[in-house]
Amino acid sequence: MVAVLQIYLPIAEMSVDALLLVGVGFGVGWLSGLFGVGGGFLLTPLLILLGIPSTVAVASGANQTLGASVSGLLAQARRGNVDWQMGGVLVAGGLFGSVAGVQLFAMLRRLGQVDAAVAIFYVVVLGSVGALMVMESVRAIFRRRRHGAAHRLHNHSWAHGLPFKVRFRKSRLYISVIPPLAVGFLIGVLSAVMGVGGGFMLVPAMIYILGMPTAVVIGTSLFQVVCVTASVTFLQAIQVGGVDIVLTLLLLLGGVAGAQFGAAMGGKLRGEETRALLGALVLAVAASLLWDLLRVPAALFSVGPAF
Amino acid sequence: MSARRGWLLAAMLALLAGGFCRPAAAQTSELVARLSTERVAITTAFVGESILVFGSTEQPLGPGGDEVVVMARGPSAPFVVRRKVRVIGLWLNGPSARFAAVPSFYAIAGTRPPWQLLPEEARHQRGIGIDSIPLEFTGARAPGFRRALVELKRNSNLWQEDPSPIEIAGSRLFNFRLHLPSTVQPGTYNVEVMLVRARRVVATEQLGFVVERTGSAAEIEKVARGQPVIYALLCILAAAFAGWAGSVVFRRG
Repeated sequence: MVAVLQIYLPIAEMSVDALLLVGVGFGVGWLSGLFGVGGGFLLTPLLILLGIPSTVAVASGANQTLGASVSGLLAQARRGNVDWQMGGVLVAGGLFGSVAGVQLFAMLRRLGQVDAAVAIFYVVVLGSVGALMVMESVRAIFRRRRHGAAHRLHNHSWAHGLPFKVRFRKSRLYISVIPPLAVGFLIGVLSAVMGVGGGFMLVPAMIYILGMPTAVVIGTSLFQVVCVTASVTFLQAIQVGGVDIVLTLLLLLGGVAGAQFGAAMGGKLRGEETRALLGALVLAVAASLLWDLLRVPAALFSVGPAF
Repeated sequence: MSARRGWLLAAMLALLAGGFCRPAAAQTSELVARLSTERVAITTAFVGESILVFGSTEQPLGPGGDEVVVMARGPSAPFVVRRKVRVIGLWLNGPSARFAAVPSFYAIAGTRPPWQLLPEEARHQRGIGIDSIPLEFTGARAPGFRRALVELKRNSNLWQEDPSPIEIAGSRLFNFRLHLPSTVQPGTYNVEVMLVRARRVVATEQLGFVVERTGSAAEIEKVARGQPVIYALLCILAAAFAGWAGSVVFRRG
């Protein structure tokens, strides 16, 4: 007999199997530890799949990502791997982005389009990021086989030609504040609508768009993720009322344990292989959500509370 | 099971004894009914509850005699029913109908199915049977919306029609177990027990119970609704602390 421990979620207003949620948290935590990402992009769709309302899944997913990222941020800060100055600019953009994102979310809820909009955001964002990750890592694997690693301090891109230049000492960059503000803003919007931290997008953006050195990328992205998910939690709680603290804590209970095991295993994988696997996982999530949008729904009608 | 039966019997005997001890005027009451509880607590361990509706009648119950109908209703709330439509290949929510007052819970049962006991008109007038629940709505006019709402409520066990017949014991005692699923809304619930004789309702008894959140679930919900700013800050702190504490506890090596 399988042990079932039913627990009532006060905000979702439903009874769920607590052990199942801890298990989901553990699984997602394990993968996030393995790949070094927050795992919000897996968690929120899984919660929706389990029957948690989209509003609660997104808001509590952001809250959970906050908890899951705190210890990583502390560890990175201790090692001096956080560019607080760059992080501050990203967070400033992220706070505005989260405000805009929660407004968008509240509007979509009024229109009754939250479910589809969340799914479309996931398909577009995960689909493109996953495809880029797989392509990039496959190219890197082949390049390494032929020549060995390429050496360059950072890529010079269009982002280096804009005005309002600021010197970021820790990142050894002299660039305009516009690209980090824009990147922060975009991640803030996605975080609010998708219930993710956005690390899986932020890290590549910091490397390829901002040209930050990889040593400070993880720590700085965690700083942005913690601040923006805190902001999203706050705004979702007061504006939409979807943060279920009982759900968050159950997921965290499994998540932090899983992350430690995943991280221990992740150390044994090579960077490019890890990235290719993560890209494949991201693509798989996007594909399953796309399938749900395209196939003829099992129930044509849906019923929800009126606002 | 036997313990439950024993308790049930004891409750009925107490009720009967009460009936016999009453002054002469009260003895003429055709119908006496009670609920096993008047308060249902939603705690963090809430998985639903069942309430016993029981009572006695003056005349014998059953075929050829009197019949009993029990109707329970929960608090009403507005609902929106949406129909999915295909927009450039994607299934999105399209037209919608807004139902102003939908009973969050509804159950109907009888010693025989109520539609056999009462004429259509009387049934509709009293709202007996799911097809008689008054549902005013605005928006899309297609009949599918109402049907979809009814279907969803029935599938989630929030609307029940003849879940099981009312049991008759010893020709004048009846009992019915009302099952509340875990998704019941807090609020005041009305239970109407009707005595039917010759296709007419001759006596009714109005009962009720309250479903309320208690314990930590109630506290959390109250803070979240009443002081959202404090609740939001608590959620941030709790998640941050849990994440940090968890990583200390589960740290490997």
